[in-house]
Amino acid sequence: MGLYVIPLRQHIGAPCVPNVSEGEKVFRGQCIAEPNGLGAKIHASVSGRVVKITEGDIKIEGEFTEDEDYIKIKKCDSIADTAFEAGIVGAGGAGFPTHIKLKSEIPDGFVIANCVECEPILNHNIALIEEDPGLIVRGLQYAMEATKAPTGYIAIKSKNKKAIESLKKEIEDLKNIHIKELGDIYPVGEERAIIHEIFNLWLTPEQLPMEAKSVVMNGETLANLARAVEDRKPVIDKDITVAGKLKSGKDSNIFFQVPIGTSIASLIEQCGGIDGEFGEIVIGGPYTGKAGDIDNAVVTKISGGAIVTIPLPEFGGPLGLLVCACGADENRLKSIAGKMKAEVVATTNCKNLVEIRGANKCLTPGECPGQVQAVMELKRKGAERILIANCSDCTNTVMSCAPDLKIPVYHHTDHIFRTVDHELSRRLSLED
Amino acid sequence: MSLTIEQVEKFKKEVAVLCCRLKEGSIIDESHLEDPTILPELVDSGLLTIPKNCARIGQVIGAKLLKTLDALTPISSDVVEGIKEMDLSNEGITEDEIFDLDQKAVLKYNMKFGDVIKASDLENPMNFEKMEDSLLIKLSEKVLTRGEVIGKKLNKDTVALTPILPEMIEGYKATEKLETTPMDTNNGSILKIKIAEGKGIDIEIPMGGYIGHASTIINKEKMAEKPVEIPPKEIRRLTKKYFEIHNVIFGKETKIEGKTLYIRENIGEDALKVDKLVKEIKVDIIGPDRYKEYSETIMDVQPIATKEEGDKLGTGTTRVLDGVIMIVTGTDENGVQIGEFGSSEGILEENVMWGRPGAPDKGEILIKTEVVIKEHTNMERPGPLAAHKATDFITSEIREALKKLDEKLVSREEEFIQLRRPGKKKIVIVKEIMGQGAMHDNLILPIEPVGVIGGKPNVDLGNLPIVLSPLEILDGSIHALTCIGPASKECSRHYFREPLIIEALKDEEIDLCGVILVGSPQINSEKFYVSERVGMTVEAMDVDGAVVTTEGFGNNHIDFASHIEQIGMRDISVVGASFCAVQGALVVGNKYMTNMIDLNKTEEGIENEVLACNTLTGEDGLRILAMLKAIMNGEEVLAPERKWNPEVKENNLRLIGKN
Repeated sequence: MGLYVIPLRQHIGAPCVPNVSEGEKVFRGQCIAEPNGLGAKIHASVSGRVVKITEGDIKIEGEFTEDEDYIKIKKCDSIADTAFEAGIVGAGGAGFPTHIKLKSEIPDGFVIANCVECEPILNHNIALIEEDPGLIVRGLQYAMEATKAPTGYIAIKSKNKKAIESLKKEIEDLKNIHIKELGDIYPVGEERAIIHEIFNLWLTPEQLPMEAKSVVMNGETLANLARAVEDRKPVIDKDITVAGKLKSGKDSNIFFQVPIGTSIASLIEQCGGIDGEFGEIVIGGPYTGKAGDIDNAVVTKISGGAIVTIPLPEFGGPLGLLVCACGADENRLKSIAGKMKAEVVATTNCKNLVEIRGANKCLTPGECPGQVQAVMELKRKGAERILIANCSDCTNTVMSCAPDLKIPVYHHTDHIFRTVDHELSRRLSLED
Repeated sequence: MSLTIEQVEKFKKEVAVLCCRLKEGSIIDESHLEDPTILPELVDSGLLTIPKNCARIGQVIGAKLLKTLDALTPISSDVVEGIKEMDLSNEGITEDEIFDLDQKAVLKYNMKFGDVIKASDLENPMNFEKMEDSLLIKLSEKVLTRGEVIGKKLNKDTVALTPILPEMIEGYKATEKLETTPMDTNNGSILKIKIAEGKGIDIEIPMGGYIGHASTIINKEKMAEKPVEIPPKEIRRLTKKYFEIHNVIFGKETKIEGKTLYIRENIGEDALKVDKLVKEIKVDIIGPDRYKEYSETIMDVQPIATKEEGDKLGTGTTRVLDGVIMIVTGTDENGVQIGEFGSSEGILEENVMWGRPGAPDKGEILIKTEVVIKEHTNMERPGPLAAHKATDFITSEIREALKKLDEKLVSREEEFIQLRRPGKKKIVIVKEIMGQGAMHDNLILPIEPVGVIGGKPNVDLGNLPIVLSPLEILDGSIHALTCIGPASKECSRHYFREPLIIEALKDEEIDLCGVILVGSPQINSEKFYVSERVGMTVEAMDVDGAVVTTEGFGNNHIDFASHIEQIGMRDISVVGASFCAVQGALVVGNKYMTNMIDLNKTEEGIENEVLACNTLTGEDGLRILAMLKAIMNGEEVLAPERKWNPEVKENNLRLIGKN
C-alpha cells in the first residue's frame, strides 16, 4: 500500500481534467485525466482506489504489488495518435506534448534524438542508452516514420564513450542515422544549441526547430514512443536520478521506471535517507532545477532528478544576482540568496536573456555576449559579492572580470556540486 | 572508573579503553571499560593515544581479550575475538575519512560556537583553486591545515567557506597585546614626492620614525628638527586566566575537578538565609540542551570570576570560568517579575540575543537562580538586592573553589594593558548607569569581580560621577542590578566585556585616560546636579574628546542630554551613544547633540524584550570612535534625516570600512 499523488499538470498547457471520481477503483495504465486543450493524457501508474481529487492532483491509494502489468492503450492508425493515447510529453523537462511534434511533416528534414543529458549529476538517460540502445534507436525510427523525415541524428556528449559504442553497434546497418558528438559544456543540450552544433545555424529564440526542418526529441521521450508503439504502454513510469547528501554515499542512484506519483521522499529513503543536516532538495538538475518540498515532491513525467544538498554557505553582506536564461531564474536565485541569509541589493539579467512567451530564452545558448557591464552594474548598486546563474561560457567571462573588480563570485550550482564533489562551474580551461 | 549497563548503551559508539588491567582470555564486560567522557582530557594531556582501529564499546562487550592489557589501554580490534559488527556511519562518532591532512582547512558547513570540527566538516580541497579564483576564500600562510583542526573546537559561530585561522580555535593561546608600535601610527599623513625633472637627487626619509599625523603639511624648518615621539606609557595591566568547564552537576560539595564544576546540592537552603526578604530560591543548571525551556525574566548575567590572592580589581590576575555563567532571575511571591520596563520571561533561546557582550554565549552552561522575594518588594530597593545577594552567595562558594585550582588547568589567557599615549588625542568615556532606585542601581567596586561585598550602591553615592580605570570596568567593578528594558540594559557581564573600552584601549590614535561612571537619578533637579559635576570633572581632565553612553531610554535621556551639553559647552568634542531608533527617540535635546550613535539592532527600531539585543557591541564601539576621531579632527557630522533610517548606520559602517 502507498499513496501516489499524480499531478494534473505534467506538461505545457492547462491542467488535465479528471475522468474518474473519488472512491473509484482504477487500474495501472487506465486513463484518469484528459487534456483540456494543449496537453497530454494522464494514466494511473498504480492500481488502487482514488482517495482524493483536488485542483492540482489525483491521489491514489495504491495496492502493493510486484505486478508491472498495465492496461494497454488502444490500437491507433498513426504513430502520432499512439503518442497522444500514451500521454507522451517531452521527458527532458519542458513537457511539450509529443504528438504535436510528430504531426509535423518534414520530407526533407531531420529528427534529432537529444541524448545530451546536459545537466551534470543526472545520468539516467545515458544509463538507459548503455542498457538498451535499441529502444531509443527504434523510437527515433518511429519519429522519423511519423514525420517522414529521411534522416536522423543522435546528439550525445563525446565523453559518454560507452553509450556511444553501444549506439554505434545498434545503428551499424542504418545508413540514415548519424551520431553527432558534442563537448561537455553546459548548455550544449539546449535545442537551439544542438541545431547550431549540427547545422552551424542559430535560430532566434522565437523560432522553433521546424525552421531548420528539424524535430528535436529527448532520448527518454523516444524510448517512451517505442514502448507505446511496440507494447502499447502509456507513460506511467519515469527514469530518475537521486543523488546528493545521502547515507548511501555521493554517487548518483539511478531508478529505472519508477511509477509516476511516487514520493521523492520514498526514493530518498531507498538510498538510505538523508545524511544529517541538509540545505535543500533540488528537483531537476543543478542548473535548472528548483528547490522542492520533501513532503510533497513526487515523480512526474518530466522530473529528471532529486538532489539533496549540503546547507548553503552563509553570507551576511549585500549580494547581487546575475540572472541567466540557461540557468536559474530570478526567483530561484532569490531563494538561494535567502538560504544564504544574504541581503539582495541588486539584480540584473545577462544581456542575452530575452523573454519569449513568458519564458526566459537565451539568444545564443553557450556563447557568451560579455558580462562585464552586468558585473559592474551589480557592483555599482552596492553588491559586495555576486551570485550568478550562468552557463559554462558566460561563467568563464564573469570569472575574467569580477575578481579583477574585487567582487567574489558564487555560482548557483556551488552547493550542489560541493555536495557530490563535482568540479565547480568557473573558468574554462584554455586547452579544451 | 567502570561503566554501568545503562552507560554501555549510551556510549556504545564511543571508543573502548580498559579502565584497569585485564588478563588474557577474559570476557570483556562493562566493568572493565573506562568512562569515555574523560578520555578527551587524557588525549589532550598526551596520556592516551587512540589508534585508528580502536574498537567501540558496543563492539567489545562480550568479546574475548587475546592478550593481557594494562589499565588505560585502548582496545584495538586485533586484540579481541568475537568483536560485534557495528554501523558507525552517520551518527555519533563517524569514521571520518582522514585524508589530505596537509591541505588547508576550510569549513564546508556553517558551524556554531563549541562545535568540534570533523573531517567531514571540511571543504574538499579540489574546490580551493576555483574558490580562491572567485575570491570566496583566501588561503594565507596563517590558515591551519586539515590535520591541525580536526578534533578541535570552534570558539565562535563561523560560516561555511571560512578558512580556519588559529584564533578561531578554542584553547589557542594568544595574549591580546594592546601595546602600540609607534611605526604604524602615521595614518592619515601623506608624503608626496614629485620630481618633474632632475639629476642626482638623494632623498632620505627616516624609516620607522614617526611623522605627526595631526597635520599633513610638513614644514621644511620642522623637518630639520627630529620628530619627537613620546612612547606610550604603561599604567597597569590585567590578566584574565580562563579555566574551562564542560560539565556542571550537583554534588556533595562545591568543587571543581578537571573540567567539571560540582555545586553543593543543598546550597539553596543556605542561600535562602542570606536575606529575610528571600522566600524561596531554586538553583538550576541549564545546558544547551535546555535552552528551549521557559525562564522567568533575566535580571542579570554574571561571569564567575575571582581575584588571585592580594590582587585588587583592575590589576593583577583574575581567574574566570569559561563555559559557565550565572543568571539571576526572579519574581515576588505573587509571581510578579522583578523588572520594570518590559521583561524577558519566556523560552530562553528566543528571549536572549546570544553572544552580545552582556548576554550568555551559545554553548555556555547557565547556573540559573530563580529567586522568589517577599510580595510587593519587587519595586523597592531591598527586594531586587536580596535576589542578587542570594545568588552571589552561590557564586562566592564557586569563587572559593576557583581560587584553589591548579594553575596548569588554565586554558587561555587574555591580557589587557592600560597605556597612556602622550601626544595623542586624549579622551574619556562617560558611562551613564541607572540610579533611580529599586532595581535601578549598581554596586560599584565590590571586592570580587561582580561580587556584592564591598560594593557601594551608586544610589547611596548620590549618583555622582566617579572615575575608574578602564581595566577596573573590564574586571567586574560593576555589579548591575539594573532592570530597565531587557533589550537595552547593560548586565554585569556587559561591563566585564565592555566593547567600547576594549576598542578604545586598542586604538593607537587616541589616549584613553579613564572611565567616568555617573548614575541617573530619579528627580530632575538631581539629574542636573550630577551632570554639572560630569562637566566639571571632564573639564579638569583637559580632554580633547568624550563619549557619553547610556542604557535604556526615556527618563534617563534627560541627564544623558545634559551630560552632553555640559561637555559640549566646554568646547570638548563629544559623541553620544544610546538606543534611540523609533521607540527610544530622544525626548529632549540641545545644540551639542549633533554627533549621535544609535545602538538599535532591531529591524523595526523597537525595544523588543530580547535580552541585550540593543546594547553596545564592538561594531558600535568602532563607529563611536570613528565619529569621535573625525570630529576631534574638525570634520563635521551630517544632520540626520527627519525619520529614523537604518541606512545611516550601514553607510557609516561602509565609510569606516573604506578608511
